[in-house]
Amino acid sequence: MIFEFLESFNDQMLLLILIVLGVAFSAGGIPPIIERNRRRNIENQLPSLLESLSDAVGAGRGIQEAMLEQGRNTPGVLGKLLTETLESSHSSSFDAALSAFASKTRSSQVQRVTVLIGTAIEQDAPLQGILSDLSMDYERLNDLMNKRESELQGRGILIILFVCIGLPVLIAFIVGLFAPASKGYQIDTFNQTFALFFAASSAIASLVSGRMLGRMKDFLWWLPFWMAVSMGLYLGAVKMIGG
Amino acid sequence: MRLLDEKREILYVIRTMDVLMSSGVGLEAAIHTIGTGGYGIISSDFSTVMEKLRSGKSRGLDKEIKALMNKSESEGYRRLLNTMYGNLTQNTDLLETLRKQGKRMEEDRNEEVKKYIEDLSGVPETLLSIGMIGPIILAIVGLVPQLLGDGAEAIMGTIDQGLINSVVNGGLIFTLIGMMLIGLKAHTKDPGL
Repeated sequence: MIFEFLESFNDQMLLLILIVLGVAFSAGGIPPIIERNRRRNIENQLPSLLESLSDAVGAGRGIQEAMLEQGRNTPGVLGKLLTETLESSHSSSFDAALSAFASKTRSSQVQRVTVLIGTAIEQDAPLQGILSDLSMDYERLNDLMNKRESELQGRGILIILFVCIGLPVLIAFIVGLFAPASKGYQIDTFNQTFALFFAASSAIASLVSGRMLGRMKDFLWWLPFWMAVSMGLYLGAVKMIGG
Repeated sequence: MRLLDEKREILYVIRTMDVLMSSGVGLEAAIHTIGTGGYGIISSDFSTVMEKLRSGKSRGLDKEIKALMNKSESEGYRRLLNTMYGNLTQNTDLLETLRKQGKRMEEDRNEEVKKYIEDLSGVPETLLSIGMIGPIILAIVGLVPQLLGDGAEAIMGTIDQGLINSVVNGGLIFTLIGMMLIGLKAHTKDPGL
């Protein structure tokens, strides 16, 4: 059935190439999604960890001891990574353990916080206040990031659905209904031009949607997929409706 | 690109300088720490300044900060550099000003994010409108000679199919440019989170 479907597009070389590229690149698009979810989980847990650390330091505990304890009490990836790193750092310095922890999280927020904690320890600065300030700063930042994500995600999806799916089907319906190939209308060149237009407009829509959410590079992986979908939908619908 | 990078990093730089300087680190050492990396374009600027100071090619830290002020593109970065310059030349209270700036910049950022979300609320509908109206009109224009048949020549005279194809192609390219321009708003107004 798949081969029959592909056979009907034999004269559309670009579409066939885009289908193959789309499937292959989609596989490349999944790891960034998983990685981002992991990173955002870590970053959303960071303010509460910093607040607990501030409380523990205020109660007279050492930062290393407080981190180990909070790492054990914090559920999720952040706590697990912190405990793992601190427990496996017996033979190295606390600074090295902090750096290892920061690089394992692969989060710029955690990396910035650990650099600041390291500097504060080095300079003998009041850790309780610094940790508490950092906790509030990152809580506000994460709230903003989550707000942007939740408010714009729906609009991003809407753009892709409208331009990559709705638009080609609508135009194919009009063309297929009023100028069906089965009645002798010569629309091969016309279809070719519009298929290319839909591929290009889908690429633009996908990039705009990605930029709105602040992750255009991740969306690049899905570009051939959406281009192939809109081209395929247009050409398929014209054939289906117009014969 | 520079403007976006500055806007994205400036608040972190202010917070770091606040922590560093409130724990007794001097301005030059704070600039050096930030210059070692992690703060994008601002790290690169500060590292260049430190490099010049170390090599003896500089006329002094205040002059370098002044030069950076001309190079900076965002209001927040320029304000930070101005505060640093004031501290170097008039011994102003840098810590207090940094805290005030940080607070103000955070409020500005919140406002910018809200405005960004509001500004982009109409983008899907606008993209669809342009993306739909253009192709519908151009599809009709492209199909007119065939839809009207011989009647078309009676109404409009001889129809040059090549000309019609060029109009359709040009129109579609124009529609794509329009869509790109609407989408550009998502890039240019980015609050830099």
